[in-house]
Amino acid sequence: MILRLAWRSIWRQKRRTLITVVSIGFGLALAVFFIAVAEGAYSQLIEQVVRLQAGHVTIENPAYRDAPAIDLRVDGVGRLRAEIEGLPKVEASKLLILGQGVARSGAGAVGVSLMGVEPAGEARTSPLSRNLVAGQYLAPEDDALVVIGRELAERLKLDLGRKLVLTTNDVSGQLKEELCRVKGVFATGSPEVDGYLVQAPLSFLGRLFGLPPDSATQVGLILKDSRDQDRVIKAINGLTKGRDLAVLPWPEVMPELAAYIRMDRGSNWIMQAILLFLIMFTIFNTILMSVLERSREFAVLLALGTAAGQVRRQIITETIYLGLIGCGAGLLVGGLASAAAQIWGINMSALMPEGVTISGFAVSPIFRAKLTWPILAWSGGLVFGATVLLGLIPTRRAVRVSMVDQLRG
Amino acid sequence: MKPRRLALILLLGLALALPAGPVRAEETSLSAKEILDKIDDLYRGQASHGRMSMAITTAHWTRTLELEFWSQGKDKSLIRILAPTKEKGTATLRVGSDLWNYLPKVKRVIKLPSSMMSASWMGSHFTNNDLVKESRMAEDYTFEVSFQGRRRGEDLIEVTCLPKPEAAVVWGKVLVEVRLSDYQPLLLTYFDEVMKPARTMTFAEYKTLGGRLLPARMTIVPADKPEEKTVVEYQTIEFEPELAPEVFSLRNLQR
Amino acid sequence: MAVWRYAWRNLWRNSRRSLITLAAVTLSTAVLMASYALMDGLFRHTIDNATNLVTGEVQVHAPGYLAERSLYQALADPAALLAAAQKAGLGAAARSFGYGLVSQGAKSAGALFWGVDPAVEARAFDLARHLERGRFLAEKPGRGLVVGRKLARSLGLDLGAEVVVVVQAADGSLGNDLYTVTGILKAAGEGLDRSAAFIHAADFEQLFVSGGRIHEVALNSRGRLPLDEVAALAARAAPGEEVKTWRALMPTLADMVNLFDVSMAIFGAIFFLAAGLGVMNTMLMSTYERIHEFGLLKALGATPWRIVRDVCLEALLLGLAATTAGTLLGLAGTWYLQAVGLNTGSLVGETTIAGVAFDPIWRAQFSLRAVVSSVATMWAICLLAALYPAAVAARLDPVRALNRV
Repeated sequence: MILRLAWRSIWRQKRRTLITVVSIGFGLALAVFFIAVAEGAYSQLIEQVVRLQAGHVTIENPAYRDAPAIDLRVDGVGRLRAEIEGLPKVEASKLLILGQGVARSGAGAVGVSLMGVEPAGEARTSPLSRNLVAGQYLAPEDDALVVIGRELAERLKLDLGRKLVLTTNDVSGQLKEELCRVKGVFATGSPEVDGYLVQAPLSFLGRLFGLPPDSATQVGLILKDSRDQDRVIKAINGLTKGRDLAVLPWPEVMPELAAYIRMDRGSNWIMQAILLFLIMFTIFNTILMSVLERSREFAVLLALGTAAGQVRRQIITETIYLGLIGCGAGLLVGGLASAAAQIWGINMSALMPEGVTISGFAVSPIFRAKLTWPILAWSGGLVFGATVLLGLIPTRRAVRVSMVDQLRG
Repeated sequence: MKPRRLALILLLGLALALPAGPVRAEETSLSAKEILDKIDDLYRGQASHGRMSMAITTAHWTRTLELEFWSQGKDKSLIRILAPTKEKGTATLRVGSDLWNYLPKVKRVIKLPSSMMSASWMGSHFTNNDLVKESRMAEDYTFEVSFQGRRRGEDLIEVTCLPKPEAAVVWGKVLVEVRLSDYQPLLLTYFDEVMKPARTMTFAEYKTLGGRLLPARMTIVPADKPEEKTVVEYQTIEFEPELAPEVFSLRNLQR
Repeated sequence: MAVWRYAWRNLWRNSRRSLITLAAVTLSTAVLMASYALMDGLFRHTIDNATNLVTGEVQVHAPGYLAERSLYQALADPAALLAAAQKAGLGAAARSFGYGLVSQGAKSAGALFWGVDPAVEARAFDLARHLERGRFLAEKPGRGLVVGRKLARSLGLDLGAEVVVVVQAADGSLGNDLYTVTGILKAAGEGLDRSAAFIHAADFEQLFVSGGRIHEVALNSRGRLPLDEVAALAARAAPGEEVKTWRALMPTLADMVNLFDVSMAIFGAIFFLAAGLGVMNTMLMSTYERIHEFGLLKALGATPWRIVRDVCLEALLLGLAATTAGTLLGLAGTWYLQAVGLNTGSLVGETTIAGVAFDPIWRAQFSLRAVVSSVATMWAICLLAALYPAAVAARLDPVRALNRV
C-alpha cells in the first residue's frame, strides 16, 4: 500500500522528481564513465608494457633483480615452460635473454641493452613489431639480424641491412664480438627504448653470451586476464618448490609503472570523492527542499489520522524509488557510454597532439574504457546507499510539523 | 683483417718478410692474398721489443709520447710510456681479450671494461679495440688486386679488400696500396658501408730496423677531422728477442 | 535602491528555502575553490619534486652541448649568468662535466663526472639530501666521490671505498687519481643511477685540467618565479647560449604533467557541472515553488518583466551573499589544505617515479584564478537557474498559477 502511495506521490511532483533523479543519474553516470576510462587506460598501459618485457609474471634467478648479470640465469627452461603453459589462465610463455653490450658501427659506438627473444611468439605480441617504421620484424629462421630503435639508428647512422658489431662480456667474462645486420627499425616513442634497445633472436644472443643450451635470463608469462596474477604465481610456486627460482609479478619487475598507476588511481579516487560529495549535497538539498515544501501535505495526512511512522515510511520509500530510478538511469547512461568507449575508444590525440607517453612508455592515443561489473555494482551501490541515508535525515523533521501551523496557512 | 689492426701489427714491430732488397722483375705476380698473407704469416709466432714515438694532434691539443713496447704471438703485448714525465710509467697490458692499464701516479692497475673498447687509447686515434682484436685477416676479407701501375710518382699495387658477410668488421671496404718494388705498404684507406672514406693511414720512412725493411713512420688521419692525426715513428725494434713469459704479467705491468 | 531592498526582503520571506539555497551555493563555491587549489597544488608539487632534485627549472649550455658533452664546449660567460641569477634571488648552480672511468679492484665502469660546488648545490637543489647512504661532498675539495645507486652496485662500492678515477684530460693527458666514496645516491632516474659520479669542482679542474670551464648553469627558483621569467632572465644574461626549460630537458615528466593537466581540466569541468547542477536544481526548485506567488503578483498587475527582474535580483543577491560566504569557507579550506595537506599515504603509499619521490601529503596551492572562476561561475549559474522558471512564470496565466498549490 505504501509502495503504491509512494510511487504515485513521486510522479505527482514530476518536476521535483525529475530534478532529483537527473542529479543522481548525472553524478553516477560520470563516475562510472571516468572510472571505466581510467581502468581502461591502466589496463592498456600494463598490457603494452608487460609485453615489451617478460609479461605479467616473470621467472628469473633469485639473485638477478638486485644485481643483474648475464651469468645469473634460469636453467632447464624447456621443462619449466611445459609445466607452466599447462596452467589455466596462461595465454603464452616466452623466453628472454637480457644483457648489456656496446653496439658499434662506422659512425660510432653506443652502450645498449640487448634482448634476445623468440621471433615466432614475439612477432604477434611485442609492441616493437607493431611499431616498425622500416623493414621487418625478426623471423624464426633469422640469426645475425636485429631490430633497433629509430634514435639508435640515427645516432649510429644505420639503415636497413647495415652492419652492426655487438661487443660484450660473455658468461665467463670473455670479450665477445659478433657482426649482425639491421632487419627492422622501430619507434615506440619512448626515448629509453628507441635509443638503447637492441632486440635479436634468442639463439643468436645465446651464442654471443655463451649461454648453455636450454637456459635463459627470464621465463615470462602472458596471462589471459591480468587479474589472475596472484593465483598463477601461487600455482607456479607450488610447482617449482625447492628449485632456485624467483617468481615475480609485474609490479616488482616494473615498480615505476606500478607506482605511476597507484598515484594516478589515488588522485582519481580523491577527485571522485569530491564529485560524490557535490552530488550528495545536491541530493540532500533536493530531498530536504521537497520534504519542506510538502509540509502542508504531511500536515493534512497527520491530521487525517495517519501514523507518523507511516508518513515516514512513505517518504523513505519515495526516496528509495528516487534512488533506484536515479541510480538505474545513471548506471544505464554511464554503462552505455563506457561500453561505447570500450568498443570504439576515445581518440585523445586532439588533446595531446605530440603523442601520449606515460612514465616513459608511449601508449596509443585511443583510450579504451574497461567496464566491469564491480565498477557498476560498487558505484551504483554507493550512490544508492548514500541517497537513502541522506533521505533519512530530512524525513525525521518532516513528520514533526505543527499541524495547526501548516493547516492554517 | 682490420686495416687498423694491420697498422698496429706494424706498430708492434712486426715486419714484412719481404725480400730486403729490390724485387726482381720476375717476382711481380704475387697474388693479392699472398701479399697480405705474408704480412699475416710474418706476424705469426713473432715476438718483438722496441721503442717508438707517438705524436698526437687534435683540435684542442698536441702531445708526443715516447713508448717502449713488447709483443709475443697474436695475443700478448705490453706498451709503456717513457715520456712525458707526467705519465712516465703508465702502461697497457693485453693478454687475450683482456686489457689492463697501470697508473703510476696512484700505483693502481685497472681492468678496462668492454664498454671502453671503442674509446681511444691515450687520446690517440687508435682505440683500445685495436690493441685487442685478433687478427683474422684471411678469414675476414676477400681480396683482389684492383690496380697495378703508377700513382703519385710510385709504381704500386692496389688490393681491394672486401669484408666477408659474417666478418665482425664495420667497414665497407679497405684499399691497400703497396709498393710494386718491395711490397712495402704505402697507404691504407678504409671506407664505411656507404663507401665514404673514414680513415687513412700513410706509411713513409722506409728503413731497416732490427734487420728488416719496414716503414718507420705511420700516420693516421680521420676523414671527418682532417686537421687531426696520430703519427707513429719507430726508433728501434728487435725481432725475436728473448722474452720471458713474466714480461706479460700484471706484476711486470706495474714496474 | 528600493528594488534591491525589496529583493532582499523577498529572499528572507521564506527563510528556510533561501537558507537551503544559500547553503548549496556556499558549499559548492567552497568545494570548487578548494578542489581547484588542491589540483593546482598537485600540479606544482609534481613539477617541483622533479625540478628541485637536480635539473632545476631552466638550464643554460653552449649551443649543441648536450648532444655530445664535449669537454671543450663550455659557456662563454658563466659569471655574468650567475651574477644575474643572484640579483634576482634565483638559485644557480654552475657545473662541469667529463666522461671517464671509475674502477675498484677488477671492476670498472664508465661514468659521467659532475664537477659541482657542494654548498651551492645544497642550497639550490635537493640532491645533496637525496642520499641512500653517507653524505654529500664536503665544502672543501678532498677527492670525495658521490655516485649513483646502480653504479655503486655494479662496482660493489661501499662508503669509504677507495676507487681509481681515470679520465681523458683536456690537454690530452691521462688524468687519474684516487677518490673516496663519501655518499651513494638514492634512485634518481636511470641516467643518474647508472653513470653519475659527483666530485668537487676544484677536484674536477685538477683531474680534467679543465681550466675552470663551466658546461652548465642550472637555475631554480623553487617555484617562486614563473618559468617564462626564469627562461627570459637566462636568455638575457647569456646571449647566444642555449636556454632550455625542464619541459625540454625532461620530456617524460613533461608528458606526465601534460596528461595530468588534461585530466585535471576534465575534472575541473566536471566539478563545475556537478556544482552547477546542484545549485541550479536548488534554485529551480525554489523558483518553481513560488509559482503561486508569481501568479498572485501577476494578478495584482505586475508585468512579466517585473517578475523576471525581481527574480534575477534575488538570485544575484543570493549569489553574492553565498559566494562571499563560500569564498571565506573556500579560503579556509585552501589554507588548511595548503598548510596541513591531505595525507594520501594509506591510499597511495610511497611513490617514486624516475627517482622523483612523491610526497604522499598533497598540498593545495592558492591562486586567484581558482577564486575568481569559482565565484564567477556560481553567479552565472544562480542567475541562469533562476531565470528559466521565472520566465516561465512570467508568461503564465495568473489564474492557472494561482491554482497551483
